[in-house]
Amino acid sequence: MEKIDLSRITLRPFKLEDADDFLLFAGDDQVTRYLRWKTLTSKEEALEHIKDVCINHPWRRSICIDDRSIGFVSIFPFSGDDRCRANFGFGVAVKYWGHGIATKAVKMAVPQFFVDFPHVVRLEAFVDVDNKASQKVVEKAGFQKEGMLRKYAYHKGRLTDFVVYSFLSSDLPIVEA
Amino acid sequence: MEGTSPVESSKDEYSNLSLRPLDVSDIDDFMVWATDEKVTRFCTWETYTNKEDGLNFIKNTVVPHPWYRAICIDNRPIGAITVTSNSGNDRCRGELGYVLAFNYWGKGIVTRAVKMVADTIFEEWPHLMRLEALVDVENVGSQKVLEKAGFQREGVLRKYFVHRGKCRDRVMFSLLSTDPRI
Repeated sequence: MEKIDLSRITLRPFKLEDADDFLLFAGDDQVTRYLRWKTLTSKEEALEHIKDVCINHPWRRSICIDDRSIGFVSIFPFSGDDRCRANFGFGVAVKYWGHGIATKAVKMAVPQFFVDFPHVVRLEAFVDVDNKASQKVVEKAGFQKEGMLRKYAYHKGRLTDFVVYSFLSSDLPIVEA
Repeated sequence: MEGTSPVESSKDEYSNLSLRPLDVSDIDDFMVWATDEKVTRFCTWETYTNKEDGLNFIKNTVVPHPWYRAICIDNRPIGAITVTSNSGNDRCRGELGYVLAFNYWGKGIVTRAVKMVADTIFEEWPHLMRLEALVDVENVGSQKVLEKAGFQREGVLRKYFVHRGKCRDRVMFSLLSTDPRI
């Protein structure tokens, strides 16, 4: 597998022009397997998703290689008594798995988000207990494993255990190994 | 206690423990714990200061609540225990909460009430798979209640939740419908 120079990885907001690239990962069951999203099936759906979800989202970024979209990072702050925390999610096109791209993108997203949302002190990622790859990504990116929540929620019809990870603003800066 | 006679088993003294719905006629008993800052210290709601607010709470929150029960000794409310429900993908879990008047602390009453809930809620709500409780990291008394009632401690959620203006760590406990009953 050709090695990818991770300095080519950037984060930016989504654009309608990303629709074809978006469909490449959002239309792939392997990518959406552990996401709440339904796998997209057409360019029209991709355009709709970008317009209705990505662009209006409080903090969603396209993971880009040479400015082409190959994935996403999504951070959703809660409200009310839960306003000090936000839910963290991400996905990368299968073609680009295995290069450390997701880890790089997560490491870039975390400090950016805390600057943009200074009242949020906790990022949390709920990772399916079977999703070992994503567990490795968040661990390498400096998230702390807090425990396993047994039979916490249904995911696509299956009662699922979730490993909960957190990254606090006070955990910054991310220490490079 | 004076003299050398053994301490009475607290269980005998409070053998007539029951759970029942709470209504507006219980307002005076409700106000005993709801106005006590020692009791409400870790509660998510603000200490009550007047009867009208208490009555509104009972009418607007307690009566329509999915599962709100008064903890009673001799049918007089001395606290409350609740289970909230969720919908959609979260319908498998409910959150447990409880509160007890200060004079009744330290006698194992809440532990008994929690066990009573654990013994019935999964039958009453067949869709429920997981009963969970989130406890402030400093609320050791409440953590002991859950441990004695057979809940599993799953971990500490750091800076999880804003309480009285501060971000607090919460300990997550759970009891599954499939867990052994103590």
